[in-house]
Amino acid sequence: MFRQLQARFGGPLAMAIVTLLGIWLIVMVTLPQLQMIEYSLRPNLLPAQVGGPDDRLTLANYATLFNNDIHRTIFFKTIWSSVLVTLLTLAVSYPLAWYLAKVATPRQAALCILLLIIPFWINEILRTYSWFIILAFRGPLNEVLMMLGLIDRPIRFLSGNGGVMVGMVYAYILFMVFPVYNAIESLDDNQVRAARDLGAGTVRTHRRIVIPHAKPGIATGCIMTFMLAAGSYAVPALLGSPGSRWFTQIIYNWFFEGGNWNQGAAYAFLLLVLCIGFMSLIMKIFKVGLGDIGK
Amino acid sequence: MDGSVRLDEVVMRFGDFTAIEKTSLAIGSGEFFSFLGPSGCGKTTLLNIISGFITPSEGQVYIGDEPMAGVPVNRRPTAMIFQNLALFPLMTVFENIEFGLEVRGIDKRKRREVSERLLALVALEGSGPKMVTELSGGQKQRVAIARALAVEPRVLLLDEPLSALDLKLRQHMRTELKAIQRKTGITFIYITHDQGEALNMSDRVAVMSAGRIQQVAEPMTLYRQPATGFVAAFVGENNRLQVRVIDREGERVRLDGGALGELAGRAGSEAQLANGEEAVLFIRPEHLRPVAADASGVTLEAEIEAVHFEGAWVMLETRLVASGEKLRVQLGHEVSRGQADTLAVGRRLTFGYDPADAVVLPDDGCPEVDEETGEVVQSKLAGGAHV
Amino acid sequence: MSSQRFLAFGLRFYVVVFFAYLFLPLIIMAAATFNDSRFPTVTPWDGTTLRWFGELAADRGMWQALTNSLIVAVGVLVVAVPIGIATALFLNTVSSRAKPFLYALILSPLLTPGVIIGISTLIFWRQFGVSGGIFLTVLGQATFIAAYVMLMVTARLQRFDRTMERAALDLGASQWQMFRRILLPYLKPALYSAAVIAFLQSFENYNTTLFVVGYDTTLTVYIASKVRTGLTPAVNALGLILILVTVMFAAIYELKRRREAASSVKGV
Repeated sequence: MFRQLQARFGGPLAMAIVTLLGIWLIVMVTLPQLQMIEYSLRPNLLPAQVGGPDDRLTLANYATLFNNDIHRTIFFKTIWSSVLVTLLTLAVSYPLAWYLAKVATPRQAALCILLLIIPFWINEILRTYSWFIILAFRGPLNEVLMMLGLIDRPIRFLSGNGGVMVGMVYAYILFMVFPVYNAIESLDDNQVRAARDLGAGTVRTHRRIVIPHAKPGIATGCIMTFMLAAGSYAVPALLGSPGSRWFTQIIYNWFFEGGNWNQGAAYAFLLLVLCIGFMSLIMKIFKVGLGDIGK
Repeated sequence: MDGSVRLDEVVMRFGDFTAIEKTSLAIGSGEFFSFLGPSGCGKTTLLNIISGFITPSEGQVYIGDEPMAGVPVNRRPTAMIFQNLALFPLMTVFENIEFGLEVRGIDKRKRREVSERLLALVALEGSGPKMVTELSGGQKQRVAIARALAVEPRVLLLDEPLSALDLKLRQHMRTELKAIQRKTGITFIYITHDQGEALNMSDRVAVMSAGRIQQVAEPMTLYRQPATGFVAAFVGENNRLQVRVIDREGERVRLDGGALGELAGRAGSEAQLANGEEAVLFIRPEHLRPVAADASGVTLEAEIEAVHFEGAWVMLETRLVASGEKLRVQLGHEVSRGQADTLAVGRRLTFGYDPADAVVLPDDGCPEVDEETGEVVQSKLAGGAHV
Repeated sequence: MSSQRFLAFGLRFYVVVFFAYLFLPLIIMAAATFNDSRFPTVTPWDGTTLRWFGELAADRGMWQALTNSLIVAVGVLVVAVPIGIATALFLNTVSSRAKPFLYALILSPLLTPGVIIGISTLIFWRQFGVSGGIFLTVLGQATFIAAYVMLMVTARLQRFDRTMERAALDLGASQWQMFRRILLPYLKPALYSAAVIAFLQSFENYNTTLFVVGYDTTLTVYIASKVRTGLTPAVNALGLILILVTVMFAAIYELKRRREAASSVKGV
């Protein structure tokens, strides 16, 4: 591999490339992850005990999750809610992606994409914060609902999972819209026309023609959305309540409140495994490879 | 300045595939030399070996008698004109032409002098400050030539540089390239699949096929005395008839044409042609002429299937009555005049030719070549006169 | 046919609702800045005021956080852009059986939750006695931002005509001169875009930063902590300013990108 680089860029430059890449992949990507795993396999000891008889590899930190009812519940709730967020985001994004790719005129599509990009550029915290205002107990949503006579008393949106999920759909929707849009866009218009011509209805056209074609995009969107949702700290911290905690919040607490980094590392690794598992599952279901996801 | 190029037993292999069979060749200083062949014949590989982009598996390249082994691309006394020109799009015409001087650390004033002089040579005075993206196809071509000449190469390598241009411009650029070559006296090594280009511009041409040089000769010799069946089929148009050698007397060969009866031709210069051997007789369409049905000598009777009037000549597509093989006949203005009624579809005519014009070569299963693309099409041994 | 038309109408209606959903929260947040109320809201409207901008300007914690954010963002640019370029050049040049594995490793920071990148960085550097702060924030953020830079540089590199390189060498350039004079100028537009994206990504990052930031609070972390404790419409004022700056950035970026796309159509 170095030979090829050297042939193209000469020795010094090839050296620089390999060095930069090496530092990144080894020191910044791989070693920290390995260290985290190693950490998760060691008990939380006082400095004096390090290297002592108690300092041995153990799975105890992982066992904690299964012995602690509250943590276990939150772990599974995080999975379930993230799946739900992913599905909801897909459902909301798909019609828009379809509209942009195949219905809108090129000018409309260009305008819409610009409009989509603007909030995408805005800080996730701010986007979440804007929902905090809307969903507040005395906020505009409750006011409007009461004005319309739909409710008598304001609802505490910010105390359940609902608020968190609405905020997540809002925060991550563009990670779904763009890959799905890109995938649908590459579908030949004539295929849709041909399907219509052959008498397929809207639902069947989408189910048999559009969705199979858009699979790589849908897979990418789902993987990204799930990863962002399951790994989100900002949204549940801002829009949730103590009763609707997210797994990331538990991890945070191990580090900065419980002071047990080993335990935190084990939980973090479980979250990573969860995301990798979800990704593999989606790639298997949709039969796509990593190459499709980089796009 | 010795711009001679010598290939000494050069072989190029890519894995199991041999792109260039053992090749030795000497190109004189100041010569305009072309490699002609269909795509995939190895001519571009040879060019890359000379320029230093690839190192031959075996053998040695000499430029001006200096061995080039271990001399990298940027130190060789060659300059290349690429098929897509590879002008630097983010630079002006000046910057493009001066690039080779700039990287050699030549100062700005000197550089500008050179580029002005070269712009004059390629008739682009005043275009220096333009971006190359603003130029027309022909102008880009000239900039590419000027850029290559700026580094004062001893050998200029041209990789099908005209293929992107339209026909008219292409023909004009041929004249121009030839003129520039004469003015500068630099060795030009030109690669093309277009025989018109090769025959028109070159002092000598090497015809290549399947990694092997088939013949190296002056253009006229290639046309009149093809050394192999491939050359006969690839250069110019030729009818090919499958024959068997009866006997040979000096150059003249008597042939058994099967259903066509006895035929005759001239033995190719290096052809062995033992009695009874399978061979191919090549007759160019313009060497056939109508004769009386009972004329003496070798004749071929054929029925006209199509008549193409081309202005200066008429091209007849005919089919031999005896064998059913196709035969193309080109009749000049002076022959076809006043024959409008005889040159009609369905008419039968008898054609004769001078055996000294028809070359006999061993049947080497030479492939047919598509005129448009230069691609080798499936070898078709029997019949099939169209090349 | 009429059902088709109904569907088409429904789709258009949906698109309008979608964009309202996208923008309304931001507009409400911006509007709340001007409401003379202790709590950021638009209902009820207690009178229009600009005083929250004043309060924001007087907030020294905010200024410190902003400074930290800018330092981190510049640091991330310095680390992530060279790594991203090097990786793109590597992937563009090398063909090997190990490449799919390396590619997966290179993409992995994009598919790893940000909190985990933060946690692993924090743990890894602890053994060298480095604790949370600007340095670790730069490293943590650069870990995944380098991958974004790589994707953007790769996209442009794939359209590069490598005969340019050959031409430069053939004209006598050294490989370094070729890189300096031909390849780097060609990549320039992608590098600008990558720098803008990297800067913004760094500036707005929360999940990774949260774990590695220590006491060097960045602006995003500062906003989040304000929302939970001590929330006033001054946060909205800050949000509004950030949105305006971001939109300006985005507009410049889009314009540049479009101009570049238009010029690349012309080609040579």
